[in-house]
Amino acid sequence: MQEFVNQYFDVGFMVDHFDEVLEGFWLTVQLSIVAGVLSLIWGLILAQLRQLPGKGFLPVRFATIAYIDVFRGIPLLMMILLISGSIPSLQFLPEWLRIPQWFGKPDNFWFGVFAITITYGAYMAEVYRSGIEAVPSGQMEAARSLGMSHRQAMRNVILPQAVRKVFAPLLNDFIALMKDTTLVSAIALSEVALVGRDLQSQFLNSSGVVLGAILFLAVTLPLARFVDKLISREQGRFTRGAPRVEAL
Amino acid sequence: MASSGGPMLRLENIHKRFGELEVLRGIDLDISQGEVVCILGPSGSGKSTLLRCVNLLEPPEQGEIFVEGRDICKGPGSAAGEAGWELDFVRQRVGIVFQQFNLFPHKTALENVTMAPEKVLGKPGEEARGKATQLLERVGLADKLNEYPERLSGGQQQRVAIARALAMDPHVMLFDEVTSALDPELVKEVLDVMRELANEGMTMMVVTHELGFAREVGDKVIFMDEGKIVEQGKPADVLDTPHEERTKKFLGLVLER
Repeated sequence: MQEFVNQYFDVGFMVDHFDEVLEGFWLTVQLSIVAGVLSLIWGLILAQLRQLPGKGFLPVRFATIAYIDVFRGIPLLMMILLISGSIPSLQFLPEWLRIPQWFGKPDNFWFGVFAITITYGAYMAEVYRSGIEAVPSGQMEAARSLGMSHRQAMRNVILPQAVRKVFAPLLNDFIALMKDTTLVSAIALSEVALVGRDLQSQFLNSSGVVLGAILFLAVTLPLARFVDKLISREQGRFTRGAPRVEAL
Repeated sequence: MASSGGPMLRLENIHKRFGELEVLRGIDLDISQGEVVCILGPSGSGKSTLLRCVNLLEPPEQGEIFVEGRDICKGPGSAAGEAGWELDFVRQRVGIVFQQFNLFPHKTALENVTMAPEKVLGKPGEEARGKATQLLERVGLADKLNEYPERLSGGQQQRVAIARALAMDPHVMLFDEVTSALDPELVKEVLDVMRELANEGMTMMVVTHELGFAREVGDKVIFMDEGKIVEQGKPADVLDTPHEERTKKFLGLVLER
């Protein structure tokens, strides 16, 4: 039993290596926020492209659906490998894109951001879509009948309601995204999982990884409780969405 | 205003189908300025679809619609699609009020009314709010400006919806069974607003089951069944001495209630 405690919960070890682990976790947080915000924006763009009306936009809708299907179906780790492994070798790309080092962050940080945004943008597009589709069709009709264009109606009437409806599921996706940032350790970004792993191989002790996990919980548990609260508030709320206006 | 004394609204041979179902089978109708036309008919007769055709929410496949003499659906059903319809023209001249109100739930009563004038007509906020306040006062909601729709009764919501449509200065107003979703005691407050609007000379198409309103306010009553106009005329004529069997039967059923 003592062995078990020493392997996983060596408090002295945790104290000694707290700074390193915290530094790794800070990088994790930065990665999560940058990739999270970009995924939210990219997902919203995809969702809107998918909802463009009329025959003229059929190719756009089709391409968007294909994108979402493909990138939801490819494991994030593979996306990370595909991007980091060969983008630097694509000589036709400008150097700032092949070896991005924006805002003082190394290129593997940005490759991680790209891969996560491409994948999670597809997930989040589907969440937004469920929100858009949950807005009663009478809302679009009312907005259009007042002279608003499809775009104006989307921006002023549909999306504000849709985003409110899917705020909780989006936050859930963000929690999942945050945990998935540890996959970027596979391309040698010294985020919290890689720091933990280095400590493991150096000292044959997992307490560093456990410390990283505890730091994760310190962020994800409050977020999860917050999501629960949002959901129960949404459910308890009087729903006044009107049903579809009868066609006849 | 109607150009050179022509009708405000003219429908010529309107056809509309949903898949196999032909909902409108050749509707012809002229409505002059200031006229109030009430449309009656059994459920499924196509009366709501007719209203929704007039402002192109459901563009007709065949036929022409003229608003103030202007053809608003050039080449309906043609490849031109929306490009062939005068959407901006018609939506800024023809207002519609729906059975289910369709207020924007994330906006206050005042914001519901100011949104389109600000976003579509580009009116400055101050001006839009001033006008919206006047309109909401006119429909008796001066004390509800900053309430959200969920805090309003059905009758109040519907009056906000009327004010919202009026904010675009429409020349024609369409009412699609606007009292059908209301509790009986709330019907009158909405009809009163509509009656006042009619008295002020608004051109109106009203799909309704309120025979009393049709009789009192309507200049013309139309009875529709199976996508066609079966009978039309002065309210008293159609309601009291209908000629067609179908009209008699329908009125009998409505009066039995």
